[in-house]
Amino acid sequence: MSSHAATTQVKANWGGGGVSPLGASYGKLYMWFFLVSDAFTFSGLLTAYGFMRHKYTDFWPNPGHVFHHFPFYDGSIPLAYVGLMTFILIMSSVTMVLAVEAGHRKKQKEVSKWMLLTIIGGLMFVGSQAWEWYNFITGTAEGAVRNILVDGVWQDQLIHGANLQYNEYGLPVFGDFFFFITGFHGFHVFSGVVINFIIYVNVVKGTYEKRGHYEMVEKVGLYWHFVDLVWVFVFTFFYLL
Amino acid sequence: MEFNDGYPSYETMALHDEEHGKHVRKVIWKVFWIMLGVTLVELFVGFKAEAFGLSKLFLQFFFIGLTIVKAAYIVLSFMHLGDEVKALKWTLLGPFIVLVLYLIFMVDVGEGNYAKGRRYVMDKNVTDAPHHAPAAAHEGAAEHH
Repeated sequence: MSSHAATTQVKANWGGGGVSPLGASYGKLYMWFFLVSDAFTFSGLLTAYGFMRHKYTDFWPNPGHVFHHFPFYDGSIPLAYVGLMTFILIMSSVTMVLAVEAGHRKKQKEVSKWMLLTIIGGLMFVGSQAWEWYNFITGTAEGAVRNILVDGVWQDQLIHGANLQYNEYGLPVFGDFFFFITGFHGFHVFSGVVINFIIYVNVVKGTYEKRGHYEMVEKVGLYWHFVDLVWVFVFTFFYLL
Repeated sequence: MEFNDGYPSYETMALHDEEHGKHVRKVIWKVFWIMLGVTLVELFVGFKAEAFGLSKLFLQFFFIGLTIVKAAYIVLSFMHLGDEVKALKWTLLGPFIVLVLYLIFMVDVGEGNYAKGRRYVMDKNVTDAPHHAPAAAHEGAAEHH
């Protein structure tokens, strides 16, 4: 018994195993610090975007003119669709936090219900993003004449839409950043859906019920909210400003 | 897998009863409505910015300000950082406070404006290169209005 008490004394220290520091479990701390590093990656991307944007203020495409499509509607409503996407993602964040809350009450059925809704929301968002990309890549029927590099020679050509080399709506760098940053974010959403699905299967199987707590739901929830958090910034810098 | 080593288990400490759950859910929905409201206001202003004749500087402060409000709600409420100990809060948020100060300085005050001034010089060099001539005609037109 006395030896056990001595071990406890040693183990309670920082980094000595046993009780985790900062008043949170190790699992949650790992997730938090991963998210901090991931947030710096996104900060780096958005900062680079900010520099280019600042540098080419005068020629930057107006997002309202680029992103104005809406499904099953031929007219133009600027920003409406991206508003809807934002709503979907916020909504799925809410269902996620409700799953975490249900987990705190150890209600298996409720957790699985909210997790499933979160996964559906995530899939809807990824689908919306694919549609947004499709419209940006396809461009307008009229197109625009741009000076582009063809077989090593610069020449004026009629182009439609955007890709990594040219952009109908303005500077190619706008398209580059758009594809890279929303793509990187979209991949995060996709990964989040996959991880959510794995956790969902575990919830349904009763893994966490047996374990006595639903902290895994909370950890994957942290990741999911982070994806929402990044979107809030992408939304502002790409679509509103 | 079950063991009890005598240490406090944060995993089970997080559990709460039905009564407390009701309160937590109320807060969640309140935050949802705030987030939705803020997003709708942002979209409305973004939609009407030209019609209202709002200045660029105002829009920047307005949108970035509201974005930070939304971010704070996500991190502090949805991610429950508000309920964590002070040390963890500062450990996670501190680096980003430094980053924001850096960005204000670099993008808006320092390097961003420097790059803006240099652009004309750089583009002129591009103009002088013969195979870039048509590109220069495009950019030049936008530049000299």
